[in-house]
Amino acid sequence: MWLPFPALRVIVKQLIIRHKTFGLINSFFIYMQAFTPLYCSKWLVADMGDNIAGLTNGHSSSAEYDFLLKFLALGDSGVGKTSFLYQYTDGKFTGKFISTVGIDFREKRVVHRSPTVDGTVGRSQRVHLQLWDTAGQERFRSLTTAFFRDAMGFILLFDLTSEQSFLNIRNWMAQLQTHAYCENPDIVLCGNKADLEDLRVVPEEKAKAIAEKYGIPYFETSAATSQNVTKAIECLLDKVMLRMEQSVDKTAGGKMGKNGKKGVELEEADRKSGCSC
Amino acid sequence: MENTFEKIGASFTNTYFNMFDTSRESVGQFYLPNAMLTFEGDQVQGPEAIVAKFKSLTFQKVQHVITTTDTQPTTEGGVIILVVGQLKTDDDPPNAFIRTFCLKPVNGSFAVFHDIFRLGLHNL
Repeated sequence: MWLPFPALRVIVKQLIIRHKTFGLINSFFIYMQAFTPLYCSKWLVADMGDNIAGLTNGHSSSAEYDFLLKFLALGDSGVGKTSFLYQYTDGKFTGKFISTVGIDFREKRVVHRSPTVDGTVGRSQRVHLQLWDTAGQERFRSLTTAFFRDAMGFILLFDLTSEQSFLNIRNWMAQLQTHAYCENPDIVLCGNKADLEDLRVVPEEKAKAIAEKYGIPYFETSAATSQNVTKAIECLLDKVMLRMEQSVDKTAGGKMGKNGKKGVELEEADRKSGCSC
Repeated sequence: MENTFEKIGASFTNTYFNMFDTSRESVGQFYLPNAMLTFEGDQVQGPEAIVAKFKSLTFQKVQHVITTTDTQPTTEGGVIILVVGQLKTDDDPPNAFIRTFCLKPVNGSFAVFHDIFRLGLHNL
């Protein structure tokens, strides 16, 4: 069995253990969808900015989730990584200033619905997002594999008002390709500070061209006005979840042959989610 | 009453970090000719190489805030200093750091012979 992420082994295990509850969760959300228009949006913010100050991978004791995903924000100093993550997590920082010095991440709980081929909404998964910030540490250390460890998605930022930060995207991509868990990890490119239109030095077409060259999505974002911030992270989450599901499906496919019961359950869950909208 | 080595340690630390925060290219004067620096695992030797290392760091502004300074006299009449504090580079969030200096007595004064720096990171 091939797994793309080092940490995925644990997650897959978790998923298999929790698989039995999947049908139930799905039915719940189908129910909610039928009666509450609010739940028809693809995204649900289940527990905004859940405060967890734990130093050990941030597991919350009360946390119930299907996936724990770690995303890393990268880019030159001053491009607005911290503000970007701050904006996404609704301005709620985790823990106290002193205790999180050097261990800088924010968390957010979302419910992810996988888009399906026929445009209907797929099964729901509760995702616990950990968003890590380099906090200027990149200035002191040459980034190593350890720095990227367990990160499943990358938010690569540059500053639309800084040519240099845009040129350095090439270096960041090279770093990612060397140190991330695989050569083509899931990345979104964000041209930040889009609100400062008067100071812009990087044209949209140029940024789009480089994103296209690397085959990654591009967003013009503003941590100040929140423009596209959520959209960019949701896009990344979609990509990571898709990759995860593809590898889990492979695992589940293997299980089906040996364990008929599990297979039936999975099929049931799929069928339910397929006709949920 | 404060011991002499404690006074030396405290006064050196203040002078050094003030100098570092205002113009880090000038801290070469604190180091002995063969002084050693281990910066985040990178080893360099000699005042020129040490200053070059500091200048290569990409921030424009840096500010150190010292939390504690612990000192001991060494057998050679020098002083060993452990500094724990926080530093803030440009607009980045603050980071914890740990720094050890070993000062040697030179002509009635003191100069740095050993210098070891690490960020206080545990998410490695």
